[in-house]
Amino acid sequence: MSVLVDMTELDVAGYAAAVRRGLVGLPQEQVDDLTDDLEADLADALADERRAAHGRGLVEQFGTPEAYAAELRAAAGLPPADAGRSRWERLFPDPVEQTTRLGRRLLVRLRAQAWWPPTESFLVVLRPVWWVLRAWMVLQIATAWVFGSHRMTWLPTAFAEWLVLGGLVVLSVQWGRGAWFQSRSTRWVPVLANVVVVIGLLPVLGTMQSHSRQVDSVYQAWEAGSFNGGSQTVYQDKPVDGVVVDGIQVSNLFVYDAQGNPLQDVQVYDDRGRPVRTTFDNGYDQFWFPESDEPWSFVPAADADGRSRWNVYPLRGAPTSQFEYDADGAPVLQVGSTAGTPPWPFAKAPALAGRGELPASVTDGTVSASGGPGATPTAPADVLPSPTSTP
Amino acid sequence: MDTTQLLKGVLDLAVLAVVADEDGYGYDVVRRLRNAGIEEVGDASVYGTLRRLYSSGALTSYVVPSDEGPHRKYYGINAQGRAMLEAQRKDWQEFAGTMARLLGTETVR
Repeated sequence: MSVLVDMTELDVAGYAAAVRRGLVGLPQEQVDDLTDDLEADLADALADERRAAHGRGLVEQFGTPEAYAAELRAAAGLPPADAGRSRWERLFPDPVEQTTRLGRRLLVRLRAQAWWPPTESFLVVLRPVWWVLRAWMVLQIATAWVFGSHRMTWLPTAFAEWLVLGGLVVLSVQWGRGAWFQSRSTRWVPVLANVVVVIGLLPVLGTMQSHSRQVDSVYQAWEAGSFNGGSQTVYQDKPVDGVVVDGIQVSNLFVYDAQGNPLQDVQVYDDRGRPVRTTFDNGYDQFWFPESDEPWSFVPAADADGRSRWNVYPLRGAPTSQFEYDADGAPVLQVGSTAGTPPWPFAKAPALAGRGELPASVTDGTVSASGGPGATPTAPADVLPSPTSTP
Repeated sequence: MDTTQLLKGVLDLAVLAVVADEDGYGYDVVRRLRNAGIEEVGDASVYGTLRRLYSSGALTSYVVPSDEGPHRKYYGINAQGRAMLEAQRKDWQEFAGTMARLLGTETVR
């Protein structure tokens, strides 16, 4: 008998202590108020129970101490939110819980808006899409993690990947439907996955996008035959402004007359009288020449009316380091520097047969050259590689 | 029907009625509620309710020392508690009457 009494006392003391632990976070006074008679009450209840010959233990009779504490607190009208929470946790609240609470408050406010309910019902219908997308995202992140981001593809390529994706979809949908992961011990798994997915959404989509672009360009290169040692042909949908030779934009033109002598200050127009320009940066950009160790910037020529002209070749300029910026931010040559002609590709071009002596083009007037030093009017059409120009 | 849900709304009233009958300590109140036929009530709910009614000023409390057992905290009703009990009793009777009429016509139909 005495053993039984001792056991009961021990049980009661242990249970009461556990209940008090469950009330942690409340002021000591309130805990004392709520549990003053706890041991006596529990012992009485046990005694009654034994008299009724059920003989159930405390947990069977009252449930877990945590549940008992929660019931006590709820009935006493004390907020359960701060339950079982240390001072530390109150100072630094659980971010997940905070976010949940914030979201709930936001939802309440949104539901007060007239436009929200139809929007919400629309979004709710779309929820399964998110469930599938979520599974796909987990696969992408896992792939990037395990194999590296270069292995990411919009759709799985291997059978095993399809299997994994299918499994993830099942997990995700079952969680979304509230069928799985509802117990306290496993709930963090999908919550964590959700957070990771939301954070990873933009990076993953961005990576995929740039991947598919790379894949496209590699495919185009392959299609153009460049993998078989051939040169790559680039098909441009849009016409490129400027002059293009062999797929490369030209920055400057060098003009030679029929005898092969270099010409300075040649104005070039297309067949509709539009100036043929090679640069469109108005002097801001830098251009590298073969075998030069410093980039150059160009300056325009001025015509008789004072307008800047960029279709006078060769463009003159100077190494970029000799430029400075004026008050308007426009590049100007430093005092003491003068614009010169960039290095010529060669001092003399091969002379033309049978055309040299009389510059016939002067009379037909299709091309005019400004009167620079050593400029001889000529037709540079042979040298110009099919210029494309837009107005 | 799950009577625990119904009980939640009227536990205050039940506890007030029991204490108004005679002062009592925690488990005593539980026992008297059970004897009155309210079986599903949880002990902790009753203790919490007593505590809350005391905090709101509807009950008085005093400790009775005991020679052979633990000291017991007794609860008794005061004027404010009686007024609350009267008001809630009226509300309950009206509500119960309304429900009875409603359910009565339901069964006739």
